[in-house]
Amino acid sequence: MTKVEAIIQNSKLEAVKSALQEAGVEGMTVIEVRGHGRQKGHTEFYRGREYSVDLIPKTKVEVVLPDSMVEKAVHAILNTARTGKIGDGKIFLSKVDDAIRIRNEDRGEGAL
Amino acid sequence: MSMAPSLSSELREVYAEESARLQRDFTASGDGRAAVAQRTRLVENILKWLWQDLISPEEHGPRNFALVATGGFGRGWLFPYSDIDVLFLYADHAGEEAHKDVIRRLSRELWDLKLKLSAASRTLAECDRFDARNTEFTISLLDCRYLAGDRDLFVRLHDKLIPKLIMRESKPLLQGLAEVTRERHNKFGDTVFHLEPNLKETPGGLRDYNVACWLALISAMDKLHDWPDASAVRAPVRKQLESALDFLMAARCFLHFRNGRDDNSLSWETQDEAAVRKIGAHESPELTAADWMRIYFGHARAVQRSMSQLMEEIPEAWSTLYRQFQSWRLRLSTPDFSVVDGLIFLQQASALQDPEVLLRLFHFMALHGLKLSTTTEYRIEQALPALAATPPRGAELWLYLQETLLQPHAAEALRAMHSLHLLTVLLPELRLTDSLVVRDFYHRFTVDEHSFVAIESLHRLRQSQSEWDQRYAELLSELEDPELLYLALLLHDTGKGVPGGNHVEASLEIAGRCLDRLDVDPGERATVLFLIGNHLEMSATLRRDIFNPETVATFADKVGTPERLKMLCLLTYADIKAVNPEALTPWKAENIWQLYIGAANYLNRSADQRVHGDAGDEKLARLRSLAPVTGYRLKDFVEGFPQRYLRMHSAEEIMRHLEMAEELGKEPVQLDLKRGRHWYELTLVATDRPFLFATLAGVLAAWGMNIVKANAFSNEAGTVVDTLYFTDRFRTLELNLSEWERFKRSITDVMLGKADLDRMLRDRQRSGKNAVAKVKVQTRIEFDDACSSASTLLEVIAQDRPRLLHRISSCLSHQECNIEIALIDTEGQMAIDAFYLTSKATKLTAEHRKQVEKALLDELKGE
Repeated sequence: MTKVEAIIQNSKLEAVKSALQEAGVEGMTVIEVRGHGRQKGHTEFYRGREYSVDLIPKTKVEVVLPDSMVEKAVHAILNTARTGKIGDGKIFLSKVDDAIRIRNEDRGEGAL
Repeated sequence: MSMAPSLSSELREVYAEESARLQRDFTASGDGRAAVAQRTRLVENILKWLWQDLISPEEHGPRNFALVATGGFGRGWLFPYSDIDVLFLYADHAGEEAHKDVIRRLSRELWDLKLKLSAASRTLAECDRFDARNTEFTISLLDCRYLAGDRDLFVRLHDKLIPKLIMRESKPLLQGLAEVTRERHNKFGDTVFHLEPNLKETPGGLRDYNVACWLALISAMDKLHDWPDASAVRAPVRKQLESALDFLMAARCFLHFRNGRDDNSLSWETQDEAAVRKIGAHESPELTAADWMRIYFGHARAVQRSMSQLMEEIPEAWSTLYRQFQSWRLRLSTPDFSVVDGLIFLQQASALQDPEVLLRLFHFMALHGLKLSTTTEYRIEQALPALAATPPRGAELWLYLQETLLQPHAAEALRAMHSLHLLTVLLPELRLTDSLVVRDFYHRFTVDEHSFVAIESLHRLRQSQSEWDQRYAELLSELEDPELLYLALLLHDTGKGVPGGNHVEASLEIAGRCLDRLDVDPGERATVLFLIGNHLEMSATLRRDIFNPETVATFADKVGTPERLKMLCLLTYADIKAVNPEALTPWKAENIWQLYIGAANYLNRSADQRVHGDAGDEKLARLRSLAPVTGYRLKDFVEGFPQRYLRMHSAEEIMRHLEMAEELGKEPVQLDLKRGRHWYELTLVATDRPFLFATLAGVLAAWGMNIVKANAFSNEAGTVVDTLYFTDRFRTLELNLSEWERFKRSITDVMLGKADLDRMLRDRQRSGKNAVAKVKVQTRIEFDDACSSASTLLEVIAQDRPRLLHRISSCLSHQECNIEIALIDTEGQMAIDAFYLTSKATKLTAEHRKQVEKALLDELKGE
């Protein structure tokens, strides 16, 4: 099983959600996050004051999938989250040792 | 010794049969009280049966050991799946030790019957010890009732120990009970109006009913030093509470039977079923879920009101903070109202025959955050029919309403008015959303409560320590007409009470009717309707890329002016905050703020997008409809003004400017002076010429006026419309009507070269020193040559001081800059001025910009 973590632009959330659902992904976790990569952030001036935006609000989508679904999910995210500009975000993949359904203690891929 | 298997199975059979019969009876009758009483008797019998079999066959045996019902069981209120609260009472620890095994066996038998025992074991001496960390145990003793065992032991507990304990510990007990109640209320947002309330725990629920009874009982016992003979709750309060109790009991029994467990949440599904079965409302006609919930909220309100009233009346139940307030609250009494123990009483019983007194009463509540006494509420209820027959309306009502909305405790006053049905008499539009449940995953409150919470969240900004709240609080303090924002919040979701369709459009229609009835002036009306019509706009934009300039531009163009942007931003903040306590995360607050700054900066940088007289603009269309005969004259007048001019001025104001412009042939300087709520407003219409704006600013400075805002625009024909908003530092105009004409003449004379402005300014400078600045503001000068194709934007941030605008604008004119547009604002001690400049009809060159910057810095340093 693989965990797919995608940090995306906030405005792309609905499109990414729909694309994942179409790709057969049934569950996901969405988290409001802030951060930066090379996009770095910027300073806004407003009425004589500086407001630094060094941690930019983004959205993180997490899904845990059977390995067979990972590529499809990654492509779904790439196709919908990309604008081509710095700030599009990143996808991280990591191995998951096990998954357990709390309700009935199902384990493994059956718990996904 | 354990029970004989035959007895055990017999007990199981009896219990099963009786429980089933009980459920059938309830299904048929819907009578919660009867169901609860029957179940209490059933469980009592089982316990006595078990006691006799396992512990002692003697009638009142064994000695020194008793079984006592406490809590809900003691009250005789055993709901179908409630825990069974009992106390194993011993004379001493030896007895406790001796009966440990049989207690275990008894508990096991009950467990086998699926009866959940919630048991406490105490000696008599231990019952006498009050633990402030466990007030619940002492409170549970207030409902104690003998079941089995040593009756004398119980009598000692009930007749002797408890009255003495209460007498001794009434103060910490009341404080503890009140504190726990306040915490619980706080957890539920201090409101009755949840979309899916918990019948037991939510404010207005069964727990509050119990708290009301306990508060009254403890106070009575404290005075009597004994149990009172009759109910401790006053008869009128009791009557109101009894009907609420009937309803709540029926609803809770329904939930327990339906869910098969002690689950007291009124989910949407259970609301649907309760409505179909008319739970607690058997005599009603067919009910929808919304109707049924309205009945629930009516009862919950009554319970909460009674309980709050009792908490107010019992000084020991006050919070520490409240106690501190009480001493100065006494001094708040007025000729109309007296304040006693934090409650408002009428000085004259018949005062409410005058509707104005009623309106003043709620303004008083909103200002001081006080509650009404029961007597006052009663008088209001008496006065309501006469008021409903001829309700106040028009500008006078609007005046009181806006003053009330502006007070720090406005939401509490609105809630009180609403619960007494006064608010819907004054604003019938709110009937549509009275206790309205709209099924929505995110919203926690009913529609009316959502609006009150939104208003409250803005008022609470000032006290908040959060970094985000403080930014929004600053924005709120900058608003010119915050009452319009509060009114928009009150009306923005009224459309949800209209079935089907788009609630925004419905809200606009309803608000339009309300604004007509309040005789709100056209400019203010337009603002309120703008806010209501666009109240979802910012949230919608947040779902797009807010760092994309196009997104910001589209949003900012829709909003139009900085003032509306501020209001819309605050409305969005309050609307989201009132959805549920967790809805406005810091992440969301930051996003809203980012969009706000982006749009504000865009508006400042795009002020010079010009109007074309024959464009299909909404404002232009309205103008043409207002005065169809003006035709080409209007088109010529409007041609070349910036869009900002159209957005900042109402159609009526623009027509007035047109009239003034047409008089320029007779009088080359046209002036209009009026007094607004916060400032004076001076409008100058004249033909553009060098130093015009600087001269106008100079005359005002020479008269000691403090300019806080200004807008200066010119059209293609070279007609300028300058509007300056100022405060009258010496109250010259306020105290001397004759000075109005002299002031205007002075401006005209200076403009026409008939008076010496420099001499006037020198005289003014001699007349007094400036106040020392409390906050130092660093001067900042920034040019933006990219935002406009036709002019160069200059932004000046500087320490506000008298003559500042005159000095800046004179300096610009001396540097041969023509001020195409000026947008002047002040925030505290900071002057924030934006000028769109041209020189010889083009943008400023880089060299010219440097010269201007140097000249301004030289002008502004020192002093």
